[in-house]
Amino acid sequence: MEADELLPLVARGDQKAFEDLYGLVSGPVYGLVRRVLRDRAQSEEVAQEVLLELWRTAARFDPARGTALAWILTLAHRRAVDRVRGARAAGERERHAVGERERRAAERAGPPASDQAAEEPEEPEEPEEAEGGPEREWVRRCLERLTDLQHQAVTLAYYDGYTYREVARRLSLPLGTVKTRMRDGLTRLRDCPGAAA
Amino acid sequence: MRHTGIRLFDRVREYAGGLRIGRTPHSLAVPYALDALDPDETRRFERHLETCPRCTDEVRALAADTVRLARAASVPAPPDLRERILTAVRATEQEAPEPVPDAGARNARGTPARARVLVALTASAAALALVAAGFLAFALVRTDDRLDEERAMAREIAHVLAAPDARAADARGVRGCGLGVVASRSLRQAVVTATGLEGPPGGRAHQLWELRAGAAPRSLGLLDGETPVVADDLGARAGSLAVTVEPARGSGRPTTAPVVQLTLESVGFGE
Repeated sequence: MEADELLPLVARGDQKAFEDLYGLVSGPVYGLVRRVLRDRAQSEEVAQEVLLELWRTAARFDPARGTALAWILTLAHRRAVDRVRGARAAGERERHAVGERERRAAERAGPPASDQAAEEPEEPEEPEEAEGGPEREWVRRCLERLTDLQHQAVTLAYYDGYTYREVARRLSLPLGTVKTRMRDGLTRLRDCPGAAA
Repeated sequence: MRHTGIRLFDRVREYAGGLRIGRTPHSLAVPYALDALDPDETRRFERHLETCPRCTDEVRALAADTVRLARAASVPAPPDLRERILTAVRATEQEAPEPVPDAGARNARGTPARARVLVALTASAAALALVAAGFLAFALVRTDDRLDEERAMAREIAHVLAAPDARAADARGVRGCGLGVVASRSLRQAVVTATGLEGPPGGRAHQLWELRAGAAPRSLGLLDGETPVVADDLGARAGSLAVTVEPARGSGRPTTAPVVQLTLESVGFGE
């Protein structure tokens, strides 16, 4: 059964339907959260929150508003983005608190690291067993067809959890341009041939 | 100067688009679909959505695009997550479905269903805390004291479920009854849920025990139907949990054979 059929059963308390739904969506939910958060432990925690929330609030799903999968993955994406933004804001405060003293020490010690590296120590991405299959291949191929700016605008926002204002700052572009690049990028993805139904 | 220019441009465009809300640019639909708005803008745009069927359609279409991006990131979830979630689900009350207003009225006004979904998408409390909230649904008719007690209990449950070393297990017993547990060795606590326990025969109760080799069984209290209980102070060498039928006020030690028993080895206890 598809997620669209299972979710209404779950809303009526059907635990078996939830198990089936778990089988369908746990990979996409965990993978998406992991893509945004990178950190394994945090991703597991957020995925767990999302999947439980799914059980708890299944009755809120309204098929008139879109597919069950869209509803579920939107929920997962929002939770992941909330978490990554919270962590960034906390990191920001900490950096301010550590502040000047260390920066001066670092300047004395040698040339400062590039802005980007100092601002955001990124974990190296661990190789992970892929599951996305044809969908993943299709998206990879279609993302390649975008211009660099379209590609960056879409992926910095969706996969890295930056707001469009942050994306504009990082790419040194006006807000309007960023919104346009995002729209063009998504439109071009939509028109990319071979889209899975 | 440039800033003013951009704002003016947005306003003109909104006006041209026939949009009624002064400062909510229609152009936010795309960043909204990518979850790339800050909280204020999100709220503003969602208010705008309620009055803009065209934006609603657009957001739905954009959601189909982002679903592709999401599915492309799919990786298998950690194997342990499944049992943990399924056990937590057994301990978690669901929200009652809202009564569906008649379709004509809903379409005419266009807002209730949407408002509900948007609330679902924007609620910021962690779901684990909500396990507690669902659990509290029972408690609304109780006295305040009782409510406080249940609220504290619900917090404890959420705490155990969120422990980094929380592990889940379950077992089946006689006549279709079952016992599910999510336990954390570091907290020495477990959330225990019984399922399928029929009301015990007249005037008797189901009692939960911690069993450990070479020690007397320790009572973990009486079970109230399928309401989850938190077992505290579990010994590192706790071997299993068991449920027995006892007199209504409970016993000092088990007086009948367990109706269901669950070994704790797989959740990090025992030796």
